[in-house]
Amino acid sequence: MNASGGQPGVREIGQAPLQSGERLGATKRGGVSAVSWLLIFIPFVVVFLLIGRYLIAGVVLAVTILWAVKDRKSKRLPLAPLAIFSVCGGLLIFFIILPILNLLFTTEPSRVVSTALDPAVQSALAITLSAALIATCVSLLFGIPLGYVLAREQFAGKSVVEGIVDMPVVIPHTIAGIALLYIFGRGGILGAPLKTHFNILLSDSYWGIVLAMLFVGLPFVVNQCRDGFLKVDPRMEYVARSLGASWLQAFFHVTIPLTRRALLSGAIMTWARAISEFGSVAIIAYYPKTINTLLFEWYNFFGYTYTKPLSTLLLLVALAIFISLRTVATFKRAEY
Amino acid sequence: MIKLEGVSRVWPEFAIRDVSLQVSEGQYLVIVGPTGAGKTLLLELLLGVHHPDAGRIFVGEREVTGLPPEKRGIGMVYQDYLLFPHLDVARNLAFGLRYQHRDRENVQRRVNETAGLLGIQHLLHRYPYTLSGGEKQRVAIGRALVTEPRVLLLDEPLSALDRGTAARLRGELKSLHAAKKLTILHVTHDLSEARQMEGPVALIKEGRLDALGTADDLLRRPPTVFAATFFGAVNLYKAEVAETARGRRVVAGPVATESVLAGDGIHLMIHPDEVVLIPAEPAESPNHLPGEVTALTDEGNYVAVQLRVTGLAAPLTAYVSRHFVRTERLELGSMVTADVSRAIHVLKE
Repeated sequence: MNASGGQPGVREIGQAPLQSGERLGATKRGGVSAVSWLLIFIPFVVVFLLIGRYLIAGVVLAVTILWAVKDRKSKRLPLAPLAIFSVCGGLLIFFIILPILNLLFTTEPSRVVSTALDPAVQSALAITLSAALIATCVSLLFGIPLGYVLAREQFAGKSVVEGIVDMPVVIPHTIAGIALLYIFGRGGILGAPLKTHFNILLSDSYWGIVLAMLFVGLPFVVNQCRDGFLKVDPRMEYVARSLGASWLQAFFHVTIPLTRRALLSGAIMTWARAISEFGSVAIIAYYPKTINTLLFEWYNFFGYTYTKPLSTLLLLVALAIFISLRTVATFKRAEY
Repeated sequence: MIKLEGVSRVWPEFAIRDVSLQVSEGQYLVIVGPTGAGKTLLLELLLGVHHPDAGRIFVGEREVTGLPPEKRGIGMVYQDYLLFPHLDVARNLAFGLRYQHRDRENVQRRVNETAGLLGIQHLLHRYPYTLSGGEKQRVAIGRALVTEPRVLLLDEPLSALDRGTAARLRGELKSLHAAKKLTILHVTHDLSEARQMEGPVALIKEGRLDALGTADDLLRRPPTVFAATFFGAVNLYKAEVAETARGRRVVAGPVATESVLAGDGIHLMIHPDEVVLIPAEPAESPNHLPGEVTALTDEGNYVAVQLRVTGLAAPLTAYVSRHFVRTERLELGSMVTADVSRAIHVLKE
């Protein structure tokens, strides 16, 4: 999910990326295939054992272990602990994919299509996607400068600022909604003057949705930007400037292109977070209904079965975003 | 061409203190110093990415102290190349030209010329990650040269390369320097590199200019103890100044010489390759030091003989040939006399 995190060594861009990249790639490919066999198939074995299909379980188990041993190239862990750890991890993986696969494969496609054609659904979907897009653009506009400052400057209170940036992630989103309402609502500190001077009302409006989405999505953009900028050696900018680029030109011709992947993945994460936001959105702006609000309402009024096609539809949207994120994150990685 | 007047800049971990330095047009100045001495920061102050707290910087006749890097006409090449990874070699080379508003043909011509100069025409369409270290450094040098800077700063340009490549590039740098009449400041921590560039050498110590001279000067007649140690001096002794009837003498135990230097912190240095070992003499004459051999180290092309000399604070090392060791039957405990009269150099703390 995270395009830039995880690798040690912040300033690695200029420093022999080829060799390290190749080496990483090689062990990764070998290691991942073996581990992923264990991670993905052993849980199936466990489930089949639980429901009494011993023969199938045995066959899958044998094939899994055979493949894992055959494929194993990384050899970081001895096989026995690898197997035990993989089974534990695999159950977790299984816990994630089982509900998702179940939802995808037990919903009738025709009902998903008919739900998608419902005007209420379409308008809710349009509102959700567009509001999330606007929230993402706004967060990029403000998040890129903040991320750059956090990456380049050392100042007293920096960790406080970074903590504040992360706050929306840990605050329960219903509370975030109420807190925002007190500021931007009809009688709020900023909401009241906005209403009287500009006739803008944020509660129960499209812009209220954008606001809530912005609040919960901002941390992803800021953190991704910061991490991305951290990976660009400042001396890269010095070189650009020695070649005649002004500060701004160096920023836009060197720094931004080198961080575009981090920026893009930050934007997609923010967008995805915004789309899935329900708690704060429902409190600030129950109307116009976002897709989550609609889902919640249908579930309350019509129950579980009725909601299933819409859930599947939303899941498909989310998966599409997810896949595009993964593609962006890994696309032509070797180049850098 | 380049003049620094009392340039100072203090960072929390590093500092440049009161550096005054003049480099004339077309000179090739090598800057050496231990790690953390502030060599790179000195270059970056010149480049303009940092600004001095005090002092003034001139390029040619123009004061550039407050100017941003893009207005200084100084090129920079770092040890780790820092090629723009999102651009291919041709676009890396052309990077500086896009701010000069040239037409496409002109840019193309300049890029080709520079590529030809550095022998990287065949790399123009490759991306940096596919290049070897030597190729990358050629591209980095080309990228800096394409905008025709008057001054080129090289920050350990050869340190990351293997020996053969470094030697080849060193030669190319020298001929580039001659052909383009560039003023070059070349930072290195490699002494042999400093010698081979044949220019003057500036030694930086803790942000200050400690010594300046030709490599040979600094090696044979280092002005300071730090310079002597940095360039690998072997026999270094604290000395005292004594005024005698025959003039001022610098004395360290049995060694004495005349000197114009005075004050505290005077040291004597004895070049081990200028020490002459002779059979033990009964009578003492000036600067003929009787000693006992305490170690014989085969250094490959020569033998380092360590002597214990009464009156000297540390052992005296002399370099002799293997042949000498054999014919004189030198061994541990042998008594010899070391004639150091032509090997003494006086220097200050």
